[in-house]
This record gives sequence, C-alpha cells and structure tokens, in this order.
Amino acid sequence: MILKTPEKFTRQFGKAESKGYQSPEVWSKVTGKAVYGIDLTLPGMLHGKILRSPFPHARIKQVDTRAAEALPGVRAVLTGAELENRPFGIAVEDELPLAADKVRYIGDEVAAVAAVDLQTAERAIKAIKVEYEELPAVYDPVEALKDEAPLLHDNFPGNIAWQREVERGSLSAAFTEADLVVEERFTVPAIHPAYLEPIACIAVNDPYTGITLHTALQSPDAVREIVARVLKYPLSKVNINGPVMGGGFGGRVYGNLKVYILSALLAIKSGSPVKIQLTREEEFTAGRPMIAAVIKMKMAVRSDGTILGREADIITDNGAYSAQAPWVSKTLSERNDSVYRIPAIKTRVRLAYTNKVPTGQYRAYGNQAANFATESLIDIAAKKLDLDPLELRLKNCVREGDTTVHGLQIGKCGLAECLQAAAKEIGWDRKKAGRGYGLSAAIHANGSLVFDKNFRGASALVRLELDGRITIFTGEQDYGQGTHAAFAQIAARALDVSPVQVTVESKQTKTAPFSTGALAMRQTTVGGKAIQLAAEDLREKIFKAAAELVGEPVAMENEVLRSISGQELELAEVAYHYHSATSGLRMTGEGKFVPAESDYDESGYGNISLTYSFASHAVEAEIDQATGELIIHRLVAVHDSGRIVNHLTARGQVYGGAAQGFGMSCFEGYLFDQGRVANASLADYKIPTALDLPQIDPLFIEIEDPAGPYGSKGLGEIVMVPVLGAVANAAADAAGVHVTDLPLTAEKIYQALAGWECEL
Amino acid sequence: MKKQVIIFQLNDEPVEIYVDPAESLLTVLRDRLGLYGTKAGCSKGECGACTVLLDDRAVNSCLVPVGKVQGCKVETIENLSRGGKVHPIQEEFVDKGAVQCGFCTPGMVLSAYALLKENPQPARDQIKMAISGNLCRCSGYKQIEEAILSAAKKLARQGNSIT
Repeated sequence: MILKTPEKFTRQFGKAESKGYQSPEVWSKVTGKAVYGIDLTLPGMLHGKILRSPFPHARIKQVDTRAAEALPGVRAVLTGAELENRPFGIAVEDELPLAADKVRYIGDEVAAVAAVDLQTAERAIKAIKVEYEELPAVYDPVEALKDEAPLLHDNFPGNIAWQREVERGSLSAAFTEADLVVEERFTVPAIHPAYLEPIACIAVNDPYTGITLHTALQSPDAVREIVARVLKYPLSKVNINGPVMGGGFGGRVYGNLKVYILSALLAIKSGSPVKIQLTREEEFTAGRPMIAAVIKMKMAVRSDGTILGREADIITDNGAYSAQAPWVSKTLSERNDSVYRIPAIKTRVRLAYTNKVPTGQYRAYGNQAANFATESLIDIAAKKLDLDPLELRLKNCVREGDTTVHGLQIGKCGLAECLQAAAKEIGWDRKKAGRGYGLSAAIHANGSLVFDKNFRGASALVRLELDGRITIFTGEQDYGQGTHAAFAQIAARALDVSPVQVTVESKQTKTAPFSTGALAMRQTTVGGKAIQLAAEDLREKIFKAAAELVGEPVAMENEVLRSISGQELELAEVAYHYHSATSGLRMTGEGKFVPAESDYDESGYGNISLTYSFASHAVEAEIDQATGELIIHRLVAVHDSGRIVNHLTARGQVYGGAAQGFGMSCFEGYLFDQGRVANASLADYKIPTALDLPQIDPLFIEIEDPAGPYGSKGLGEIVMVPVLGAVANAAADAAGVHVTDLPLTAEKIYQALAGWECEL
Repeated sequence: MKKQVIIFQLNDEPVEIYVDPAESLLTVLRDRLGLYGTKAGCSKGECGACTVLLDDRAVNSCLVPVGKVQGCKVETIENLSRGGKVHPIQEEFVDKGAVQCGFCTPGMVLSAYALLKENPQPARDQIKMAISGNLCRCSGYKQIEEAILSAAKKLARQGNSIT
C-alpha cells in the first residue's frame, strides 16, 4: 500500500490486544462500515413481501392474485396452490412454505410477492383477494389439550405437538419419606430474542451455481440442509453467505425459515435476486419466540433440607407451528433436575398447539424458564423448614464425580464454590434491613453428544498463508459473543504467535467446515477444541517443513521460530518453501475433534454433553410497599466456565445475559388478545434500557476443565439462567410472598402483598 | 407529497436532493445517499439504532421527515471516522468491549457524541439517561457506559474539543 497506514489503527489493535483481544471486525462495526443483512443490495434486486392471515384459524377458500399480477412492477406472485404441499419442519414436520388450505395464526404466510420496489410489493400484497372461512380457535395451551378444543393439525391429535413422560428413581418412596412437600404452579410467558437487526435475506438463483442466500445465521449449515430439502436442490447447489449479524441469542439458529424459503422461491420464479426483510412488527407477530410454559411442580424434602424427589407436570405453548419447541420443551423440563442431587424425579411435559405465533428458541433453551420454578420452590421449602437457602443449596448441589438423576456425568464442577462466592459477594451474612436477598444455581451443557449421535464434535482448518499470517476456517459463528477472538487466541497459543496474526473465516457454507453452529453453548468448548487440534497439527507441519529448509530441528519460542543452532526463520519463509515444494499448496492443519459416544439410552438417560458449566447468581432487591414495584439494587453473577479465554468479552457476555434475564424476570413477555400479539413493537414489548438495569458484578471461578481447549468451557447461554431464580427469590424475600407468574410486575407483587386471590 | 429540492449540510458537505419531503431522513440517508452506517431497527422511533445528529442534537432519523432538515446540519457515523481517523469515543468503545453484534453501535456512539458535546464531563447517571433511547440487546450497557466515561476523560486529558 502506498498510503501510510493510519497510525491510530495500528496502535489501537496493539493496545486492544493487551487488555482483551478482539476481532478486527469490531473496528468496522464501531465505524459504521460493517455490512449487515439489512444493508445488502444487489444489482437487479427485487423486494419481496408476504401476505399474512388476518385470522387466527380459518380455511382458505380462494386466493385471487390477478389484480396483483397486473400491477406494473410486480415480477412474481406466489401462492400455496402452486407449491407441492409437502410439510417441512425442524423437530416435527408441520409447516408449508405458504398455507394451502388453512391458516393457523394471525400472521400465517398466505402469499408472497416480488416487485421492483417495496412500495409496489406492498401494493401488490393488498391487491391479493383471499376468501376465508373462519374456524373456532384456541389460544390457551391448557384449553388446547381438552377433548373439545378445535384441532389445528389433523395429523397431531389432541393438539399435542410433542410429549414426554419420564420417571427415574422411586418417586413414591421419596414422597412417603418426606417431612415436607411443597407445591406450586408457575407460569412463564413467550419471550422474543429481540435481536436488534430484523431478519433479512437476499436469495439469488443461478442456473450454474444454484441458490445463494445472503443472510446471517447461527447455524447456516442446518438451514442450508432444510432449504435444499424443501427446494429439492442438491445440497452443493445451496450456499449461505453470512453478512454481519445484528444479534442472535438463539433466535437466528434457524432464524425464520419462511423468509429464506420464500425469498428463494420468489428468486426462482422471477429470475432475479429477491430480498425479504421482516418489519419489527413481523418479527413479533410472525417471528419465532421461545415457548410460554405452565409448570406445576412438587418437591419432597427431608427436615434437614435433603431433597428427596421432584414431580413436574409441564404444559408448553407451541403456537401454530413447532420449529425447535419440542427440544426446548425437553431441556426446560429436565435440565434443572441436574443442578442438585435429586434421587427421584417424575416429569410429564406436553407441547400444545394453539392459534398463536409459532415458536422457536432463545438463549438457554428454556433452562432459564424452569430455573424460575425450581429455584423458587427451593426457597419456599427453605422458608418452611426454617433453613438457610444457601445451606440448603450447598447440601444438595452436584459435585465433581456425580452422575445426576438423568445420567449426566459431572466432571470439573465449581457449583458449590459459585454459590459460596455469590452469597459472600452479595453480603449474605450482613443483610441490610428492608432488603430482600435471593440466590439461585444453574447447570448448562457444552454442546450435545446426543442431538445427532453421529455428529458430536467439530472440525477446523488452520492455514499458514504465504505472508506468514494464519487463517482459521471454521463453521462456528461469531455475532459479537467474541467466539472468533477466542478462536484466534486459542490458535495463537497453540502456534505461539500473536492473535493479531490470525484471521477467522466462517461465513460461507460452501468453503467452511460443516458445523452444527452457534447453539447449545458448544462453540468455545467443542469448536475451540477443534481449533486447538488444527493449530497443533499445523505447528507440527511448520516444524517439519522448517527443519527441511534449514537442515536441523526447529522450535517456536516467544513468537520466534528458531533452529537449534540459533538460526531465525520467518513463518513466511516456511510457507513459501512449502508452496514451492508442492507447486502451490498452502500448509494446512486439520483439527478433527470427535468426542466419545455417549451411553445415552432410549429413555433419554445418559451423559448428554462433553462437560457442563455452572453458575450461581445472587440478587439484592427491595419492594416499594406502596406500589409493589420491584427495585433491584445489585446482581452478582458467579460463573464456572473453566479457564476464561478473554475476560473482556466474557464480562460482556455476563452483563448482556444478566440484562436479558433481568428483562424476562421483571417486565418482558408476549401479551395476546384473542390470538393477536398485543405488544408487537419495541415500545410495547419492553426490553431493558440503560436506565432499567441494576449494578451487575461478574465473578469467575476458574477451575480448569480438561474437556475444553486449554481448560476453558462455555459461558454464552448459562449467563441468563440463574437470573430468573435469583430475582424471584430476592423479590419473595423482600415481599414475604412468592409471585409465581412471570414477569414480576408491580401489579402482581402489589396484589400478592395485599393478599388478593386473583387469576393473573 | 410532491417532490421538492432539499438542501442540507451532511457530514460537513452540502447535499442537494430532489425527494418527497415526507420521506424519512433514515431512508434518504440509507437508500438514496448510500450511508448504511445508520441502522434501521424498527423505523418507528423505538430502538435508537438510526440515531444521527441534527444541528448537534441526537435524533431518531426514522422520525424526521427529510423536509425538516432543509438548511440544517446532519452528522452520521461516517463523519466520525473519515480518512482512517477514529474518534476517541470509538476507540474507547473498542477498548472497553462495548461492541458486540454492533448493530446499535453507530447510534450509541452518536448519542454519546451528542452528550459529550453538550456535557464534556457527564456523571454515570447522565450517560445512562443520554443512551436510554438506544436499545442494545447484547451488552447490558455496562461496557458502553464505561467507554463513554473513559472517552470523556480521554478528551479532557487531551484538552481536545469533542470534534
């Protein structure tokens, strides 16, 4: 480059590295130059819009698109009638690209249009005439399971999308032996991930290369497979190209499949690139929030605080279509059983179809929703037994070497240390008058050994470039969590180079190694291990080639490659030597991390994950007795995520996850009016602002776990989990009564204080 | 509405466009002038991602009809890092880990910029107030607040005015 390098950039990169390395991408973000999905346009691109059902449940009698097709500027109109009606889905197959005979929620996709501009597409949507015959609808998941409830899907009798019953140990013995039985009914509303960038996708259809989707996804490989299947394209003719992602939080694991499939179908039909971008209102009314849940839970306890058993009857609200809701329901219904040594459990969980917005997933997969119930119930028991909630938790919490009631094998585990540290830091022994204190504990898996038994790990390529720099090729995605910075640090450590020398490539499914993606808190532990192995493989190749070059053994020390006689070598020299010797290949290390198979059985018993992360949060709160308002003063978040790779980004994860947990505890949640989303905007569906949040203090108990790279493990999902229980328990401690319906609004707390018996 | 000629100062340069004056400043900046650093998160004034400076005040550009900026001064994120320069606020955002997905970042930086122009030494509560119209789902705001505090100190140390 002829231009002098801007001095500030070089200086800043170096400085940032010393305090907490970050990917160079942060510079393009902070200067406004990063290109997100909504920013993309392509030559000749059309704009797509979706016609949505105005009814919660109705039969489609007729769709007349003639007026829309006649509008100047309209290039394609698509209805369900012209598509092969083969259902697709993620966990169960219950969706069509466009509704064919029936709509099942307000927002259901009925037709799609591509036009030269957005205004024309919107006009065309309005010009489509649909004749509906309204059907009776059901909105409450408990009602939906009754015999007389209207049926949403003919092939899902009883409106049950998925169900499971499981019993382990002897529950009847537990309840016979118990000195105390506590029982409560908890409710949790549907929660939207509320990533700030609405989902956008440009589909390009090319007869030679196939379909390319320009859209940002947490699991592009998983979406690629579904899109290929629905379109009946060979997998190699579908590629996903990821722009920068404006937030995910689980909501973009599969994102919004309808948007990807419809933009692809419109691109095929019109012959031009088509962009569909959801409005914020569509995000709420036709996006994929996490399931609402009704949790009835009963716990048997001995007078000394020993937990003997727990029984749960859970109904989760699927909405009209299923996406990942069965998997979320499963995690919601069982993960909390492994926080403590509970010898017997019995759980029934039923996922019910209702005529409401379909559901998907959100950070922590329902583990946080159940944490609200399980941790509240523990405090209710502690109070009745006049035991210290901290002592009760320490008495029962899982420890290293345990096998939990579901067969989870607990390796390195700092849960007891997390509990003690959280209590100490919040001032458990010197509580202030007029304040309430709450504790909670959590476990979360690090990737899954059983989701796909034949795909348990991760792979990566690490390449030495001709200029001596390093490139990582991975399918693991970074959208601000710091994954790629961590990967650069891991590779840099294995190779003994500076992370500044390392670039991470992950955005193209055609070239990146396959990955299950940014889900199940797997990327640092499982993905990171593959990076470590690939970098170690490359290191050996570098040493071998360098030794050939200088005729004697070499070693890397303090970022310098040197032969035993002291001759220094540049990595670029080694790269060029290999390049010449192979007529153009670049030296590449391969990392294949394949964890051993799990003993997981048909009943779902067995070790589900490579290892587990642990956390305990503590909250100090106050209740305004006049209004019922919950004022949270402080949240202490103590985490055992093994050795922390990057404290700067790890703290960012804790602050952000705690904020989401705080929002879910205190004011977030879908509201419905006869199936219509009543708060379909960021003004009405309130997420935390800077003014809403309390002081948040992250602490890390760094117990090295050999399962992950250099002793580290996952953090990004568990950060949200214990917030719910800790806030609920602090609120109950301050109020003297447990509110069991989330969110904990002033209205509900006021009514509880007043002793009102009222269905909320 | 009938199209009109609108002339305003955009990032220290005059701009003249022929446009429906009811169109939002946000879509004019993005779709007509190619300044994609200004983000669109809701287009209803609820998220703050589209924050720009209008005569030195932070506004949601999605709520400003472009007819209203006739003769005014508009500044976007692109003005803070021209020619390879990076503003101290941006440096501190990176240094403190205040950038995660980055979608709220341009708006957040501009709200901070407007605050520091008006109040070079804000207290933490004043910072919270100043960014309370900018939603961020990733960060919990803590590192953003630290970055703004730190940028204020840095600017004071350098004896620099904000611009």
